[in-house]
Amino acid sequence: MAGADADGEGVLILAIETSCDETAAALVTDAGSVLSSVVSSQAGLHARYGGVVPEIASRRHLELVLPVVREALERADTSLGGVERVAVTQGPGLVGALLVGLSTAKAIAWAGGRPLVPVDHLEGHIAALYLEPDPLDPPFLCLLASGGHTLLLAVRERGASERLGTTLDDAAGEAFDKGARVLGLGYPGGAEIDRLAGDGDAEAFAFPVARVPGLDFSFSGLKTALLYTVRDLGERETERRRADLAASYQHAIVRALVARIREGVERTGLDRVAVVGGVAANSALREALPEARFAPFDLCTDNAAMIASAARFGGAIPFPNYLGLDAYASIS
Amino acid sequence: MLILAFDTATDVATSALVADGEVLGERASVARTVLDDAHRLLAEAEAETRDLEALVVGTGPGSFTSTRIGLAVARGLTLALGIPVAGVSTLDALRAGEKDAYPVLDAGRREVFVPGPSAAAPDDLELAPGTVCVGNGAVRYRAALERKGAVVPSDGDERHIPHARLHVSLATDFGPVEDVLPIYVRTPDVKVRP
Ligand SMILES: [Zn+2]
Repeated sequence: MAGADADGEGVLILAIETSCDETAAALVTDAGSVLSSVVSSQAGLHARYGGVVPEIASRRHLELVLPVVREALERADTSLGGVERVAVTQGPGLVGALLVGLSTAKAIAWAGGRPLVPVDHLEGHIAALYLEPDPLDPPFLCLLASGGHTLLLAVRERGASERLGTTLDDAAGEAFDKGARVLGLGYPGGAEIDRLAGDGDAEAFAFPVARVPGLDFSFSGLKTALLYTVRDLGERETERRRADLAASYQHAIVRALVARIREGVERTGLDRVAVVGGVAANSALREALPEARFAPFDLCTDNAAMIASAARFGGAIPFPNYLGLDAYASIS
Repeated sequence: MLILAFDTATDVATSALVADGEVLGERASVARTVLDDAHRLLAEAEAETRDLEALVVGTGPGSFTSTRIGLAVARGLTLALGIPVAGVSTLDALRAGEKDAYPVLDAGRREVFVPGPSAAAPDDLELAPGTVCVGNGAVRYRAALERKGAVVPSDGDERHIPHARLHVSLATDFGPVEDVLPIYVRTPDVKVRP
């Protein structure tokens, strides 16, 4: 395989990500420059079901995986011949969805005698922070908040993180989605609530967030509180005060996340804070943490550039020892 | 022409390396290790991936996830190697292994996939007496099929397995991998959330 691309930027990594409802591929240099990052979101496909339907997602991944990889190669102005390593999300995620990307990646790697780097999706989200042009160096405290996960992590070196807390029920992004559904908004709910909240009063309603011990999170009570409030208000009043409801609901989630971050900083002594995952795109959270580092907007939600980035820091399995590799569904 | 063939739709994933009609090697494992089988087949034939000239892949019906594994592998390989692919239905391959046999694949949910293709309860199949039924569905629902007068070879019989060499013998239409689609038969199960 070619050891360097034409510009001498170092080796090229092709990454594929299919853990949930985004089919994504990216080309990233070993030095962390993103040459291309293509994400084909299926959100529209799942919107009418109010969430991701695993079998629908897997079918779509199979349809999209090649066009997306081709597009990533094209936008990076390269061909597979220039690719040194293939990276792929191995888990956690929907196993049927993961297996589409993993099988495609294994085949591409095997066909060219390349090494394969299986990447943990959560490590991938963190590795979004390590990309050019402004890479962050550990140590830092990291909040990973998405539709599937809410984790508080101590990141002391690249490629290694210690879990300090996690959600005991719903993920933060899931809380946004469920709240959006109660308010009659579309899916995914985070962006919808964020948009609507801009016109609302965050102090209009007090939604309590459960206090759980340690550094864990709990969001399931929040949705119930919103549900009761909406029921009490009635249809017409809910309609009239939708922006206030969205703003107050968002405020409750943000407040809970920020409180945990502050406690995490106190306990670990890590004074630098980073936020990654889909919820990192939330404007209220960004406002509430002016000193924190947020993943770039386009790398908050699932993408393959972050997977390629994680693959820069080890874990490569030499050809052909990865051929029997399997996907995994949950956090190890 | 050197052809790599595989079918991952059922619980036994089969693979074969075929050169100009001659079977150089065959393997069987499970869907997730089908590339490991392919690697061994090439190694035994002292061939390399770049020697491959075409692929033949089983398109199901079968397990959705397993079927997709084979089709995703085919997508990765054709992208990297720039070779054409032909898709062959797993039901057709089974039928090719035994003249006049009726392929019956396990479809889960107390149903089987049969030519059509369609899904049906074993008790609802209409079979002429003496019909030879082959496939993992025939093995699983042997009692129901035999009650209808069908003949089901013994459980370990080779005819129950969709051997990938059979796919090669049926493959005629080689083209771009985008044209090779899985045969799902069923639509996805969708539960609308409250
Ligand atoms: Zn994610």
